Amino acid sequence: MRDDPIVIALVARATEGEQVAWDEIVERFSPLVWSICRRFRLSDADAHDVGQNVWLRLVEYLPSLREPAALPGWLATTTRRECLRVQRISWQQEKQLAQPEIDLPADEETTQVDRWLIADERDSALRTAFAQLGKRCQALLAMLMRDPPEPYAKISTDLSIPVGSIGPSRARCLDQLRASPTVAALVGGAVITNGRGERHDRRMVGR
Amino acid sequence: MTGAWWDDDDKLLGAIKIALEAADDVPANFVETGKASYAWHDIDADLAALTYDSASDLLAGAGTRADPATIRNLTFDASRLAIEIEIIGDVLHGQVVPPQAGEIEVRRADGPSRSLPISDVGYFTTAAPVGTFRLYCRTADDIVVQTNWITL
Repeated sequence: MRDDPIVIALVARATEGEQVAWDEIVERFSPLVWSICRRFRLSDADAHDVGQNVWLRLVEYLPSLREPAALPGWLATTTRRECLRVQRISWQQEKQLAQPEIDLPADEETTQVDRWLIADERDSALRTAFAQLGKRCQALLAMLMRDPPEPYAKISTDLSIPVGSIGPSRARCLDQLRASPTVAALVGGAVITNGRGERHDRRMVGR
Repeated sequence: MTGAWWDDDDKLLGAIKIALEAADDVPANFVETGKASYAWHDIDADLAALTYDSASDLLAGAGTRADPATIRNLTFDASRLAIEIEIIGDVLHGQVVPPQAGEIEVRRADGPSRSLPISDVGYFTTAAPVGTFRLYCRTADDIVVQTNWITL
C-alpha cells in the first residue's frame, strides 16, 4: 500500500547495516508510533516500553521485510498490538476484571490502522515540505499558526514585512509548499500518474 | 472527506500545524531508544521464532482471564533446536529440544545479560526476567540460536 521510494531505500540500507539509515527510519516513524500510544492513552513509561518493543521487533524483522513499502503498516499494526498488551497488563494489575474495551474485529482494525497511516503519511509529507521552505516562509507560517493568532502588526514588526504583504506572502509560501515534490506526490498522485495507473487509487481515499 | 485539505489555504495551514505538532510531541528519549535498538542488528544467530504462547490461548478464550500470570508456556522454534520455557510464579524453567548441554544467556533489552548453564538433559532455570528480553543459546555442539523478544 505504501510506496514511498525514500522509505524503501532506507529499509534497504538499514538491512545492510547502516545505522544512519536506521536512525532516519526511527525519526520518520516515531511520530506514528508515539501517536498510536497516545490514542491508547498510555502513560509515558508505558509508551516508552511499547516504543522500545516495536523497534526491537523491527530490527529483528528487517531482514525478512520483503516488501519495504509495507513498513508503515507493519509498524502501525505492531504498535497497536503492543499497546493492547500493555493496556491488558495494567488492567490486570489494577484488578479491573470488568471486561475492558474489546479489541476491534479485523476489518475495523484495518480501517483504523489505515486511517492512522493516511494521517501519518500526510503529516510526514507536510513536515518534509515545510522543512524545505525558505527561512522567511517558515518564520511567517510559524507565526500565522500560533494559537491565539499573532496580530498582523506584530508579524509585520518581527519579520520586517509590510502588513499589506502578509496575506500575499502567506498565499505564496503555501503555494510553494503545495508545489514541493512530497506534497505534490501525495495530493497530485491521481493527476500526475494518471495513465500510468500506479498510485491514484489509494490517493482517492484522502479526498 | 469534505473539501481537500490542500486546496484551501486555511485548511492547509491547519494541516501543517497538526503535522509539526505531531513531531514536536514525541519525547527525545523515545526517539533515542528507537535508535539504540539497532545495536541488536545483525547478531550472528539463527532466530528461534515464537510458535506457541499459552497467553494467546487465554486471550482467545472467554472467561479465562482470572489468573493468566501464574503459569505461562512459550515455545520457540529454530531449524535445529527448539527452546521451551515455562514461567511458574517468578521462576523461569527452560528446556532445550533435543536435549543437550550448553549455555544460555538472558539478554535484556535495557539491562545486563546473564549467562546460565544448560544441563546435560537440556534444562535451565533462572528468575523470570523483568521487562523485554530474549534468550541467546549456544549448545555444546555450537548450535547458536536466539529467540524473539518477549515480555512476560
